[in-house]
Amino acid sequence: MKRKERQSEMMVAPCWKAIAAAIICLGSLLGCATAQASGELKFCLRTEPKTFNPLKVEDEASGTIRYLTGGVLVRVNRQSQELEPELAQTWKLSKDGRQISFHLRSGLSFSDGTTFSAEDVAYTVQQLMDPALHSPTGDAFRSGTGNVETKILSPTQISIRFPAPVAGLDRLFDQVAILSGHSPKKEMAVLGPFMVADYKAGSTVLLKRNPNYWKSDEQGRKLPYLDSIRLDIQPNRDVEMLRFKRGELDLINSLDSEYFDKLATTSPQLVHDAGASLDSEQLWFNEVAKSPIPKYKKAWFHSANFRRAISEAINREDLSRVVFHGHAQPAAGPFSPANKFWFNAKLKPQTYSPDGALKALQSDGFRMENGTLKDKDGNEVVFSIITNAGNKYRERMAVLIQEDLQKIGIHVNVVTLDFPSLIERMTQSFDYEAILLGLTNVDLDPNGEMNVWLSSSENHQWNPQQKTPETSWEAEIDRQMRAQASSSDLKKRKEAFDRVQEIVVDQEPFIFLINKNALSAVSTSVHGAAPVILSPQTFWNAERLAVSAK
Amino acid sequence: MNNLRWKIGGHALAVVATLLLGGLLSATLVRLAPGFDADERELDPHLNTQSVQALREARRHEHNIFHFYLSYLNHSLHGDLGTSLALGQPVRTLLGDRLPLTTRLLTTGLGLAWMLSLTLALSAAWLRLSIFDVFTTVVSGTFLCIPAAVLALLSVLWNLPGSLAIALIVFPRTYRYASNLLVKVYSRPHILAARARGLGEARILFRHVVPVVTPQLLAVAGVSVSVAVGAAIPVEALCGLPGVGQLAWQAALARDLPLLVNITILVTLVTLLANSAADVIGHVVQRREI
Repeated sequence: MKRKERQSEMMVAPCWKAIAAAIICLGSLLGCATAQASGELKFCLRTEPKTFNPLKVEDEASGTIRYLTGGVLVRVNRQSQELEPELAQTWKLSKDGRQISFHLRSGLSFSDGTTFSAEDVAYTVQQLMDPALHSPTGDAFRSGTGNVETKILSPTQISIRFPAPVAGLDRLFDQVAILSGHSPKKEMAVLGPFMVADYKAGSTVLLKRNPNYWKSDEQGRKLPYLDSIRLDIQPNRDVEMLRFKRGELDLINSLDSEYFDKLATTSPQLVHDAGASLDSEQLWFNEVAKSPIPKYKKAWFHSANFRRAISEAINREDLSRVVFHGHAQPAAGPFSPANKFWFNAKLKPQTYSPDGALKALQSDGFRMENGTLKDKDGNEVVFSIITNAGNKYRERMAVLIQEDLQKIGIHVNVVTLDFPSLIERMTQSFDYEAILLGLTNVDLDPNGEMNVWLSSSENHQWNPQQKTPETSWEAEIDRQMRAQASSSDLKKRKEAFDRVQEIVVDQEPFIFLINKNALSAVSTSVHGAAPVILSPQTFWNAERLAVSAK
Repeated sequence: MNNLRWKIGGHALAVVATLLLGGLLSATLVRLAPGFDADERELDPHLNTQSVQALREARRHEHNIFHFYLSYLNHSLHGDLGTSLALGQPVRTLLGDRLPLTTRLLTTGLGLAWMLSLTLALSAAWLRLSIFDVFTTVVSGTFLCIPAAVLALLSVLWNLPGSLAIALIVFPRTYRYASNLLVKVYSRPHILAARARGLGEARILFRHVVPVVTPQLLAVAGVSVSVAVGAAIPVEALCGLPGVGQLAWQAALARDLPLLVNITILVTLVTLLANSAADVIGHVVQRREI
């Protein structure tokens, strides 16, 4: 009987194998058919692109167009976070971190047919480093005074020498779209998978397939698969969502958690939660000496104990659960765990403990009187948190923080201001007590945040433009940031930035609250989409996306 | 004829004076608004201190509002309306690109509103049924109570054209006036007598009603243009229509002084021209009547 069963099992096994093989064959056939499909991909830009010049990009919409049209020497793979060759087949960094040499691919042309060579790379670098350009992309390369030297060794070889070491130099070229030095079409001649075909101000940007794009897929088929990409300029997110539901759009990047849940209940196959993103939400106190706030409040805000106590009294799990419907993770520090290499794994999110917070405050002379916290001079602990009006998530976070701090006798006033007013208070008048805001991080490398952490910089938000560091821990951060920036040894850089993260978590100049998840929606008609946490989440592999008829 | 010339001349003078004053007032208000001097780009951590300073320097010439305004007037006389700070494009191009859509939106919206208003008002005057009066009063009253932004949102939700939202915003204002006017004119003794003598409704309408109501309706038409222009801002902003209204909204949020001054002048110009045209045409019609 057993033998019979085994025989029948043996008979069944090949049968299943045959079916499985047939399914696989059918799947690959369908896959090929999908790959053959092309069509038009449609999604929204949330603002008008300010420029089509890739070197001048400073807004998200222009950045999207640069990503889709620009050819770069090297590209950070948004999935693996590794650097991959693109127009450059190989590259070599000098030991002192000041020079990089590229070996370029030969026989490539721009979208208008102009030949690509090392001269174009030299031209692009010279344009980018023009001091009058004031572009964020160019500024990222500026680590010291002096000129950048480009040396063309052959049509396919170039070396670029910077006046001072530039940390993470090779990865910075991910943002540098190469321009043609000879094309009459200037920045409209591109090396990327798509090119700008039409632009209707305030309405749409139409990108068409670049006929001269150099890449092919594994089967030898020319990339990109798509014929075109239609980018509708749509600032209203409700309208974007409605249009996605109607099938007029194929993708939504950076989806709100509320929309995500609504869509997930009706069409779970459309939504993607890629996990914690690089973006963080944080709270900080005004530590500017000349700010027009009372002296006793300045004393609170300068106290690390006070800041730590506030941090301890905020329930981050609640913020994630209530405000973001679980689509956010309590933040451990300046960098999100999503940043695989640079995140300091030793750091853990602050544990919620109102009792611990109260003890810390008592050690600083604060005392509780009739449910109200008072400082050693008898001043009631009252402060206001400002955030940008219209951002419902931040408004809700501020209210939850208000409730949390009320538990330790601190009265918080929540004030919402429109963005220009908030920026003015934050950067010019310094007329605020605490700010709740987010940091959109597109860089994996800490060097991209140099202007946040250096005490002398404009973006050192809790106390900017310090002539000399006002505290010993800020001096230490300055030292470590400069050390990591001037070293080409990745291990040493990591050690230095790990130390920066530890100091920031210990001193809490920024009280990091949560890291939002990377949420997106992709229509089922889009093939090849694999949303990731890095920007651009859904179309990072645009050249391999295809759209079938709905 | 001389009288008409004086009227046109007076209107032209008033238009120019109001435009100049309106532009200056708008520039002053924007300059005094909180956050005028702030630029979102300053928060970009990639920008170094020199670039942030350069951004601030670029706005320095706007600090003295009189200097800015005189320089603006001087340049605009040479066809240069300045460059938008938020969008980085010439204001002339921005307005040129967006004007056609707003013009279409307003024309269609106003056309629909007036068609609906006059049809219902004439029906009310002809039918003289209290139930019809109640019905139209409730309908127009409801639309009068609904904020423009809500109507715009409903048009987004139901995928209706923005011009319909404009029409429904303008309609209750024009309908109530037109209805009252027509009912009053149709109750005049000579119209009642004409009806008693068996004159056709069309003949009564065109020979005895239209000449009487035209000057007053023209005055309301002028005002309805201002209402429609005001409604275009929330409608375009919420419906995602790339017109001048959406541009005005973006400019206000970004404290974009060059763009806001030009849009204010443009809106003032349209409103004044509509009102002046209504006044002059009404004057001509009245003179013909006499």
